This record gives sequence, structure tokens and C-alpha cells, in this order.
Amino acid sequence: MEPELWVLATAVALPFVAAVLTPFLYRVVGERVGYFGAVVAAVSFGLVLTQAGTEGTVSASWIPSLDIAVRFHVDGLALLFGLLASGIGFLIFAYAGSYMHGMPSLGRFYMALLAFMGSILGVAFAADLVFLFLFWELTSVTSFVLIGYHTGDAESQYSARMAMVITVGGGLCLLVAVLMLAVAAEGAGVGAFDLAAILENTDAVRLALEGNGLFVPALVLVTVAAAAKSAQVPLYFWLPGAMVAPTPVSAFLHSATMVKVGVYALARVRPLFHGPEWMVLVATLGMVTMTVGAVLAVVADDIKELLAYSTASHLGLMIAAFGFRTHYGPEAGAFHLLNHALFKAALFLVAGIVAHEAGTRRIEKLGGLWRDLPVTAAITAVAALSMAGLPPFSGFYSKEILFEAAWETAQSVGGLAWLYPATAVFASIFTVLYSLRFLWLFLGDRPDELGAVPRAPTALAVSPGILAVGVAVVSLVPELAIGFVVDDAASAAALEPVEIHAGLPTHLSGPVVMSMITIVVGFVTFRYYGETKEALGRIRAGTGPLHPTTIYDQVLSVTERASTLLAARVHNGLIRSYVWWLLGATCALAVAGYASTTAGIPALSGGETPVAMGLVLGVAVFAAVAITVAESHVTGVLTLGILGFMIAIFYIVASGPDLALTQLVVETLLLLIFLLVIEELPAFYGELELGRTLKDATLSVVVGATASLSVLYAARDGSNAVTETASYFVDNAVKEGGGTNVVNVILTDYRAFDTLGESIVILLAALSVLVLLTMRDRGETR
Amino acid sequence: MRTTARVVVPIILVVATSLFLQGHNLPGGGFIGGVLTVAAFTLVYVAYSLDYLEVGVLDREVDYEQHIGEHRTVAAYRRLFMFGLALTVASGLVAVALGEPFLSQSYTYVHLPLFGEIEVASAIVFDTGIFCVVVGGLLTIFSVVGAE
Repeated sequence: MEPELWVLATAVALPFVAAVLTPFLYRVVGERVGYFGAVVAAVSFGLVLTQAGTEGTVSASWIPSLDIAVRFHVDGLALLFGLLASGIGFLIFAYAGSYMHGMPSLGRFYMALLAFMGSILGVAFAADLVFLFLFWELTSVTSFVLIGYHTGDAESQYSARMAMVITVGGGLCLLVAVLMLAVAAEGAGVGAFDLAAILENTDAVRLALEGNGLFVPALVLVTVAAAAKSAQVPLYFWLPGAMVAPTPVSAFLHSATMVKVGVYALARVRPLFHGPEWMVLVATLGMVTMTVGAVLAVVADDIKELLAYSTASHLGLMIAAFGFRTHYGPEAGAFHLLNHALFKAALFLVAGIVAHEAGTRRIEKLGGLWRDLPVTAAITAVAALSMAGLPPFSGFYSKEILFEAAWETAQSVGGLAWLYPATAVFASIFTVLYSLRFLWLFLGDRPDELGAVPRAPTALAVSPGILAVGVAVVSLVPELAIGFVVDDAASAAALEPVEIHAGLPTHLSGPVVMSMITIVVGFVTFRYYGETKEALGRIRAGTGPLHPTTIYDQVLSVTERASTLLAARVHNGLIRSYVWWLLGATCALAVAGYASTTAGIPALSGGETPVAMGLVLGVAVFAAVAITVAESHVTGVLTLGILGFMIAIFYIVASGPDLALTQLVVETLLLLIFLLVIEELPAFYGELELGRTLKDATLSVVVGATASLSVLYAARDGSNAVTETASYFVDNAVKEGGGTNVVNVILTDYRAFDTLGESIVILLAALSVLVLLTMRDRGETR
Repeated sequence: MRTTARVVVPIILVVATSLFLQGHNLPGGGFIGGVLTVAAFTLVYVAYSLDYLEVGVLDREVDYEQHIGEHRTVAAYRRLFMFGLALTVASGLVAVALGEPFLSQSYTYVHLPLFGEIEVASAIVFDTGIFCVVVGGLLTIFSVVGAE
């Protein structure tokens, strides 16, 4: 069955429209606007749900000449992701309605949250590379706004900027990869930006990519982009920082949806890039992250920090799963995508409740909360045991499939590939450890200094409760979720038919032994949690200089120092140096452009030059030389006027009346402007400095040379024949444009868009003059 | 200087208008006409002063204490270039509304008494917009900078 375009377009566009309305609505209804967001999310969820069972691509034309279109593709993977985003979005809005009670600037908060939900739905369904990139970047931007919710807080600013730098930097890698894909797809005869078509013709596109030598670069760039977004080693460090955001944001963006965009993208392009390089890169990356994240989660002191590192670890699990070649890979990845979203969002909301009621997030200050928060404790038990991967909870099923994938890969490849199952077990032991530690917030001894903890309001418990029920349902009847969407999702990323079996193991096999080791060692080590944490903490402190955060800070401070130095040279407030850099850069770019063309420098053609033209140009050159030796501004400007009028006459001789007219008028205007400002200028130029003169002279020569070169290139064929473009305009100006002045017909008709752009330039110049003067008069100067 | 300006400015303005109107078929057009008009106004500023138009021609009071950004003349110019931009964009959007690509132009012939056969091109609307932007934008700059 084909999906409906309008349904998808509405589901994606509705949150954006609602986001625009939110600030106005906030003024009317106040903080109840959160429930408006919940309604929007519910509508989007409903719309996406109606598309369940459909598969295919629908599109509406946007820029047909570049093959860019509003294109949506629906399949199991897109549906799973879209349903998670809108469904969890609904719960988050409902939770935020009471959690964010009494907080400032909620209009902006909900606006960003809604725009984020729209972008994530866009990423899920976009089947156009340009569109995908657009939504991808939008998720980064909205995430930046949400992390920086406490705008006055230095830590908040630092973390928001860090998340922005990393994820947008990854986005730039994606942009390059998208362009590579587009080039290859065009070469393969598939629509350039049409992701759905690319994925249908993977073999052709792959051959084209390999033919260009772009296969590995594109693969690496996509992986880097996904790693930045999905917090993989070594780019994971922004995720714990992002925990300064309010808890609903952490639960929504930084566990359930945004960080999964990278996983989702890798799953999407898996059929295209699948191969040995893919497995070495992606599966290894995922495994390393899974381990590092799990170890760091054990070391964490703060409950949100623990959950953040654990999220990175689980994202690593999913990425590793999609990296494996066997069909178990996508099965584990897609199933864990669902499971992780459910239990991690629930746990984050629980963390929010604990912080809200107990007033602290320090792990050692919390314990034995089950008496105070019984409902929350029950929710936590279900979610945390699922996270630990204990049977018969949902997390166990997906992790078991991952173990099977790693086991089978090791068996078929052999050698170093046995590290995959070994690492998986090692990381999973730590997963059991920190999951139990989180659960012990509710079970263990209650610290004496912990004061009275009030019951959580029902409004806060509902959302995590629903999520926990979801986890329980998937745990008890996994076939329901698998049959509904997970099987389809896995097959969208798989090359071979998939059939997910979830259930308790019935006979002993390699993967089952792996699970048993994990659970037993995990439980035994949990008795020595404090010692383990201390030892790991010492290792962590000892390797301080190697931490990505340290390196990030160093890179950032070096960049800042370098840009301060550069700005002092380029941007020093003297118009003279601005002109110097502007002209110099323009020349450098132009010459680089000429150098990159294969054509050599055209030879001078000695055509006939009329005497009149020679005379006029001679006077112009004479005037130009005279300007340089002029003693005062008045003589200088008047001589410049002579030069300008000579050029105008040259245009007349060369039969360009329009240009001549413009030149004359502009020249006159220039003189008048000069008359306006003449009183402000010093009468004489003053003494010349040798260094500055040399610098300016060099620039003049360079500009002159570039201009001459441009003329040579523009008139490269040397004949006076009318070019094809020119004769087209001459032939069609009267017929189509209705004007005999070809220049003007070009300006107002053929190239009207350029003219419009130029008029906007004038406008901007006028506005900036106004703004500058207004700012100065208000005293906003340095 | 003032005498010259008195004689020259009307001539410049007439020439500017004719250049602007004949632009479609002979040398001229919105940009050139606009710049020439600006030249005429600038001449007035140089010869008289910024407030001459307000006080001498329109016979209005001028508040000399006011900030230049809020000056009535400057505000008028600002409105002019905004109008111009709106007009250019609108002329493009009309084409879209008629199912043509953005900014495509058309023309027709109209018979007027006295003038005979006259060609009316839709480009004139676009050109008027450009004219307004040029005049408004440049005069804003000049009057603000000139007031310094």
C-alpha cells in the first residue's frame, strides 16, 4: 500500500506550525501551553500511525532542475522511528507540563521542543538527501537551544556550545558525504538527491562511488557524522554535558530520539555501504563505545550522568549491531532501538522525579527510596532490569540477538573477530553493574542525611508509568512489537530476509553462555561495586590528558587564540585594511578559479584598435598615473573623475550606450558625494610610509593583473563574433521580453533575479548605515 | 551654486524620468533613472541643506533635536525603499500566481490618444521597484551621512 503524501507532510509540518504559534499562545494561556504541545504530538502520532503497513515513496516537486523534491519514504524503520519520536514526544510534553511548572521562558522552551519533534519526524521520513540534511541540522540547532535553556548559567552555555560544535561538525561531514552520494547517484543515472532511488539501486550507486574512489571517504564521513550525533567514541563527551538541560529534554532528545538519529542514518545507508570496510569501521566503533560508555557509567556520581554514559553505551550497542554482516545485526539494532527508547526515557523521567522530590542527584546521597516513592520504584524496577538485559525483560531479547550476531561473525571470520563477543560480554557486565546501582537508589539503605521525600505527583508518574507498561508488554509478548513494526524495520536495513525470534533460550549455545557469564559476573561484582568504582575512578583520573574533553578544550582555546590574532590583523577597524583584505581575497579567489580550469592563459590577439579608442584609453591611463601623484584630495578626486569620464567615452566608442550612461551618472554622483564629505577630510595626504606604500602598491598590481587576466579569459576566442548567449538574447529580447533594449530586457526579465539581489544589496547598505549611526548615537561603541 | 542647482535640478529630474520610462527600448532603465534622481537630490543637499526640502519646499516644521534615524525625510526614504522591494517581489509573485516561473515578464500593446500605439511591459512594474529601491536606499545613506 502506498503512503499518503498529505498525511506525512502534515505530521512533519504540524509541529513546526505549532512551534511558531507557541510564543503567542504562551502569552494567552501561560504554562498550560505544554499540554497544547502534547495535543500536537498526539495528532502527529495518530497521523503516523495511519501509515502503518504502508511502504513506498511519495514526493512533490520542489526544484526539478536539481532533482530536489519534497520526498517522503515510508518503511518499517521510518515508521518505528517516527512513532517513537511522536509517541515519546507526547509523553514528554505531558510530563513537562507539571515538571516545568513555574520555570521561566517556557514559551521558548516549548517552541524549541516542538520544532525539535518536527525535525526528528522529518529525519525519519525524508527520502531526499537535501531534506534529510536540513532536518538533521535542525535537530542540532533545537538541541542547542534546549541544552542552553538556562541561558545565564555558564555551565549551560559551555555544554550547549560543546554539543553544537560536535554535532554540527558532524553535520558538515554529512553534507560532504551527501554531495559525494549525489555525484555518484547522478553518475549512475539515479536521481541525484533521491535517497529512496539510491537505496533501490544500491549496486549501481556503489559501482559509481567505487569508480570515483569515493566509496571509503563517503563511508567514513557518514560514520563520523553518525558518531558525532550518536555520541560515539571519541565524540561522546558532549552527551553527559548535555545533561544540564531540564530532564524532559534529556529524556526526549538525549536518550530516546535525537541521539538515535546517527544510528538511524547508519541503518538507512547500511544496504548501500555494506561490506568488510563497513563491518570493521562501524562494528568496532560501536563495540568500543559500548565498553567505554558502560565503564564510565559505573564511575559516574550523578544519576543523570550515569544515564547519559549508559545511553552512549547502548547507542554503541545499536551501532555495533548494524555493523555486523549477519542478518542478526539489523534485527538486534532495530529491536534495541525500540527497547532502549522505552526503558531509557522511563529512567530519565524517574531521575527527574527523584531529583524533583529528593532535591539531589548525587548517587551516594540517595538510597532506599522505595518507601517514599513506591510507584516510581516499581517503574524503575521494570525499566532498570530491562536495561541490565536480564531475562525475561525486553532488553534481554535484543541483547541476546546482538550476542548471536557477534558470535556468528566471530565464527565465520575467526581470528581477531573473536574480540567482538569478548568485548560485548565485558561491556554487558558493566551494564548489569550500573543498572543494578540505579535500582539500588530505591532498594539499598536509606542515608540518614536524606530528608523527607514527598510522594511524586500523579502527573509526573503517568508518563514514565506508560513507558514502563510499554517495556512490560514488549517483555511479556515480544511478538506483538516484532510483528507490528520491528520486523519491517530490521528488513529495511538488512540485505537478507529477517525473522526475529525473541524468547527465553531453550538450549545451550554460545550466545546463551555469553548471557550467563554476563549476568553471573555482573551480580558477583555488584557486591564490590564501591571498590570497582574507586579503581576505575583512579584509572580515569590518571588518564586525564587523554580525555576527549581535555583535547576538545585545548583545540578550542588554540582556535580562539588564533582567531583573536587573525582578527587583530584583518579586522582592526581601519577601512584601509578592510579594503586590502577584501580586494586581496577577491583576487586570490579569482586567480585560483582560473588556475583550476584546464585552459591555459589565452594569448593576446592583436585585433584592430580604432584611433579614437586608443586616444581615450591613453588619456585614461595618464589620468590614472596622475592620481597617484596628486597632492590633495581635491586634485585626486577630480583626476579620478577624468578617468571615469574617459571610461564612459570608451563605452560609447565601443557601442555600449547603457554602460556609458551608467558610468556617467555614477561618476557624477561620486563627485557630488565627495562634495558632501570634503569638509571632513584632511587637506593633504601627509607623509608616506614606505612599508604601507609597498603593501598598497603590491595590492594595486595584483588587482590590475587579475582584472587583465579576467578580460583575457572573458574574450578568449579572440574573434569579435557574437557569442551564442549574446545572439540568443538579441534574437529573443523583442519576441519574449518585448523590448528592443537588450541590456534592459536581460536586467528585468532574463536575469531579473540577479537584479532583485542587487537591489537588496543597496537596501542592506542603507540599513547598515542607519543601524551603525543609530548604535553610535546610543553610545554602543567600543 | 544655488542658482545652478535651481536651473539644473528640474532638468535632471525630467531627464531621469524619461530615461526611466524609455528604458525598455532605448538606453536607460530603473537603475540609471534612479541614480540620476539621486544625483538631483544630492545636488539640492549640497547647494542648500538636508532640511531645505522640508522647510523650503513643503513648508513644514523641522525638529532639529531629533535623531537623524527618525528624521522625517529619512523615514520617507526608508518607506520608499521598502515599498520598492515589496513591489519588485510582488511583481515576481504575480507571475507565480499566473503559473509562470518567479519574475517572468510579459508585455502588451495599448492604444492611447495623443501618444498613439504604446507598448506596456509588465517589466515596468519591476523596474519601478528597482527605481524606488535605488532612490530610497542611496538617499537614505546620503542624508544620514550628509547630516554628520
